[in-house]
Amino acid sequence: MAATIATPTPPPPPPAAGQPAVPPAGTRQARKGSAGLIAMLTPNGTPAKIRAMLAALVVLSLAWGAIGAWVVATHASAADSLAHADEPYSMDAQRLYLALADADVRITTSFLVDSQPVPQGTLPQSTLAARQQFDADLSSAGNYLALLKNSNSDPRFTAAVAAIAGGLPRYARAVAIAETEYAQGITPTGDSAMEVASEEAHLTLLPAAGTIYQFENKAVSSSSAEATSLPAVILAVGLALIGVILLVLGQRWLHRRTNRVFNRGLVVATAALAVSALWLTIAFGLARSDMGTAIGQGANPAETLANASIKVQQIRGDSILNVIARSGGTSLPADSLARAAEVGPGPGTLLDAATKAGNAKVTAALSQTVAAAPAWYAVNKKGYALGGAYQFTDEQNSVLKTAAGGYGAMQAGIGDALDAARATFTSAANSGASAYGQLEAIVIIASLLMAGASAWGLSRRLAEYQ
Amino acid sequence: VNTAAAPAAASPGGTLTEDGSGLLQPLMGIWAAAYHQKSPDMTIKVSGGGSTKGINDASEGAVDIGASDAYLSSGDVLKNPALLNIPLVVSAQSVIYNLPGLKSKTPGVNASDIHVQLTNAVLAQMYSGAITMWNDPQIEALNGGLDLPAIRVAPLHRLKGSGDTFLFTSYLSSHNYTWNTSVGYGTQVVWPKVSTAQAADGSAPMITQCVKTPGCVGYNGVSYLRQEQSQGLGEAALQNGGGHFTYPTAATIQAEVNNFVAITPPNETISMIFGPGGDTYPLVNYEYAIVSRHQRSSATAAQLRDFLNWVITKGNDASFVDQVNFQPLPQDLQTLSKAQIGLIH
Repeated sequence: MAATIATPTPPPPPPAAGQPAVPPAGTRQARKGSAGLIAMLTPNGTPAKIRAMLAALVVLSLAWGAIGAWVVATHASAADSLAHADEPYSMDAQRLYLALADADVRITTSFLVDSQPVPQGTLPQSTLAARQQFDADLSSAGNYLALLKNSNSDPRFTAAVAAIAGGLPRYARAVAIAETEYAQGITPTGDSAMEVASEEAHLTLLPAAGTIYQFENKAVSSSSAEATSLPAVILAVGLALIGVILLVLGQRWLHRRTNRVFNRGLVVATAALAVSALWLTIAFGLARSDMGTAIGQGANPAETLANASIKVQQIRGDSILNVIARSGGTSLPADSLARAAEVGPGPGTLLDAATKAGNAKVTAALSQTVAAAPAWYAVNKKGYALGGAYQFTDEQNSVLKTAAGGYGAMQAGIGDALDAARATFTSAANSGASAYGQLEAIVIIASLLMAGASAWGLSRRLAEYQ
Repeated sequence: VNTAAAPAAASPGGTLTEDGSGLLQPLMGIWAAAYHQKSPDMTIKVSGGGSTKGINDASEGAVDIGASDAYLSSGDVLKNPALLNIPLVVSAQSVIYNLPGLKSKTPGVNASDIHVQLTNAVLAQMYSGAITMWNDPQIEALNGGLDLPAIRVAPLHRLKGSGDTFLFTSYLSSHNYTWNTSVGYGTQVVWPKVSTAQAADGSAPMITQCVKTPGCVGYNGVSYLRQEQSQGLGEAALQNGGGHFTYPTAATIQAEVNNFVAITPPNETISMIFGPGGDTYPLVNYEYAIVSRHQRSSATAAQLRDFLNWVITKGNDASFVDQVNFQPLPQDLQTLSKAQIGLIH
């Protein structure tokens, strides 16, 4: 927009001859305290005021550049961290847990089912397949641990990493001993080695993996809060509004002094500020909306589903452990019942929360889990009852064979729902993280443009006073 | 912390309580007396009740030491991860029988030198009712040199949960698909219904019951061997992992234990049934002290450490363990036990 020059207007006359530029010394001396200080700092005369305006607008421009860029940088960084580091770490931590739990359930089930008469020194094909999957699970767990080990410096986190790193070899050795004993037909010794292995899994490996998962989830929550936090954005937008107001007031003031409708420099500065501030607001709005979807329909149900999956694994692991333990004790059945109550279905349960939080795909996937749960819990309960009555063979058949189908259906539904929730998260979080684009650079360039344009426009006015 | 050399400094006066395994009870009584003589201000109160009671009482803090023939089950460990099972000494289990009229076909052989040979498969059939007579062809096939009487088999088992039952049924389950998938093993099992079967509540009642029942076959810890022999009960030679028939002696028990030393884990949970080798006795176990690593006071912890360290060192001397036919812990196991005792605080 071109500035319209209505009427050439001479610059305002300089102070009349003999008129003092500053109050008389006697008057100055009469003023005391802050009033005197303000008077000393208050520019007198239009050129001085223009210079002061110029300085104020340059400072405002640089402040906008600094604060706006900082706000964009922190939000973009948090969004990027959430999408590409924290949530992936959280998923890796969950996969670490499930790999360990799957290894324990798979190898124990296989040994118990197949530890029946076979040619000495050999194992049935099914056990070999389970062993291969077990090895793959442990290998995956090692890989996930390597990915996660430096993601957090909290001593409790590093202790958990060390516990898994130290426990895995002990666990693998106990399983290897069990395998050897089973292959020789010495079932009780094989079982005792598997008890040692399972205790290592249940008392060291899985709790440590749970600790790692909790830490990674906290990081997700923290990044999520940072990526969508309002105060810094409000500060930046507020600063931009103040800047726009000052620029408009400056324009009016200059218009009164110069009869020029617009100062081109200030117009450019106002436009740069308004566009960059509007861009920031829209980008933040889009990012916040996408992040809200990512968290609400992705990360939150994914976390809930991960917890449900872990608890289903624990229920399964405990029932198998009870088969090996042959103790007829009450602690494992009690734990199992408590975990089943947490998983659901039913109001306030994990399945209920995931169904409510997730989208239609999550809900559809969970329908088979919800349908399978009651029957699976009933079979587990029956298995414990058989163990309590010392009917170990019937318990073994119930747990390892009858309950296996229900467990598979439970985990399949949760797994599909988890995949759907993760897909939602990934899509929305990537979109949210990309909303800021090159905004940080744009804000900096806009602030420099503001400063330059303000200086250029006001300098031209000043030049007219020379 | 091994303070056996300076007990007076490490163990202020007090009382430790113990209950559980009837198999260990005789030796625990001997240890308690000797330890009190060495440390007069310390008293160890010993009572039996069976391994299951020992585990439960130790888990609930009702006693300082629960004695058990069986290691802690995973259920017990998960319920109370602070519990330790610490081997104190090596034991074995003998299979006993009451067979009037049993004699060798070889003239001049004393009755006390006769050991009926049994396999775990044959024993399982005797306990499941498939073999009903002592002169069954399967038993005769194993004992060509003996005249087996035509007496009905009367399987005798423990009435309640018992470490002895855990050991015996473990032996029956090894290499035995039928038993393992029909009955299995445990401190308590659902015994097959056999019309002549009997049950006894404790190690000493097992002897009493067996003596009263011709044709009885039962199981008991070797610490009761002298009583059994003095009352005319026989002791079977069992088929081991190498296919040979052995009965519990110092050499055969130690040979069996040595099979498992290398694979014993740090928490010393291991079943030592049916190890390989021709000179082994296949029914061997550790006698465990079930102890919580967290004690009610540092003084109690110190007393426990001192007593248990004394038990696995001085208490494993032949002068003690020979009295009940037990064997000392191998050196490597003593090291593992010391490490576990060091966890008590």
